[in-house]
Amino acid sequence: MANLKEVRERIGSVITTQQITKAMKLVAASKLKKATDRITVMRPYSDKLFSILENILANVDVEALNLNFSQEREVKKVLILLITSDKGLCGGFNANLNKKAKALIEGEYKHLKGQGITVAAIGKKGRDFFKNYEGVGVDATYQGLFADISFENASKAAEFAMKGFLDGSFDRVHVVYSEFVNAATQIFQQEQFLPIAQFESKEGGLNADFLFDPDKEELVGELIPKILKTQFFRFILDSNASEHGARMVAMDQATENANELLNELKLLYNRERQAAITKEILEIVGGAAALEEA
Amino acid sequence: MQVDILTPESKLFSGEASSVILPGISGDFELLENHAPVIAALKKGTIVLTSKEGKKNVEIEDGFVECIQNKVSVLIGGGSVN
Repeated sequence: MANLKEVRERIGSVITTQQITKAMKLVAASKLKKATDRITVMRPYSDKLFSILENILANVDVEALNLNFSQEREVKKVLILLITSDKGLCGGFNANLNKKAKALIEGEYKHLKGQGITVAAIGKKGRDFFKNYEGVGVDATYQGLFADISFENASKAAEFAMKGFLDGSFDRVHVVYSEFVNAATQIFQQEQFLPIAQFESKEGGLNADFLFDPDKEELVGELIPKILKTQFFRFILDSNASEHGARMVAMDQATENANELLNELKLLYNRERQAAITKEILEIVGGAAALEEA
Repeated sequence: MQVDILTPESKLFSGEASSVILPGISGDFELLENHAPVIAALKKGTIVLTSKEGKKNVEIEDGFVECIQNKVSVLIGGGSVN
């Protein structure tokens, strides 16, 4: 038989836990709002950037463009930019991202294990996962990105990958991140960051008689790094929003679970209390009857 | 003409302006009403906007500008590669 006092104490501790998960949910919700605002602010910028590129491509001979960022080489060294969160308690968020990266390592690049796979962990959870992983080097230089999210900081990580690609330290760069759909839905993605696909000649861009300064080819060369950085910044913002969304959902679930547990415990507590009272009454009645008989 | 100055993190300016002077990669230039379509890269320098409210300066590191049909979009951002 459960002890009444024990049950009461458990109820108390479940209530405290529930208060914490509730508070964490609210915090996550407000952070999510901020994170989605940042995505909204950045969208016109990236849209415009792409439309400028399109407008140039409509006026240029695409085949003649010689872009060093789209150079395909034999893949000997791979960099995986793994964007996870710094903090846990967000359901399967980090586990899924780590799994995505692991699938890439164990699948396509299995033969490079031990010689040419580097995981640049952005976010502590990814670093912790791959820290002791066999045959994979971990670079945690850009780990602190989520403490202070800015275009400048994100650019540094993107530049590291771009530089590494240009000087031959990496032949291919992948990004593992989480695409933000809405608070309850994240899509865990793996994308090839570099080399970029060769451009196709675009019809349809604005066929105005543009003045270009510097010339078109050079402009494309200038635009591409900017676009790559913007793209990477989007990955960071998306992952950030996804993290808070995932945490919000996880904490909501936890609050709900605590509620269920609380109901069960309360039922148990009342039943026990009732049993104790009944027992007491029985004893009194029994005692009284015995007295009467005497 | 309509001028928008955007960064990945904020909208620095959006509104009507009569003139905008930009630090182009091969020299400063000014965009006025009904300018021909332009796409240009920008270098470190100052953008000078003239609107009804007066003049406004924006310091930039680098960026791009596109001007079509009296719509000027200036995209600027932080550090650069190379």
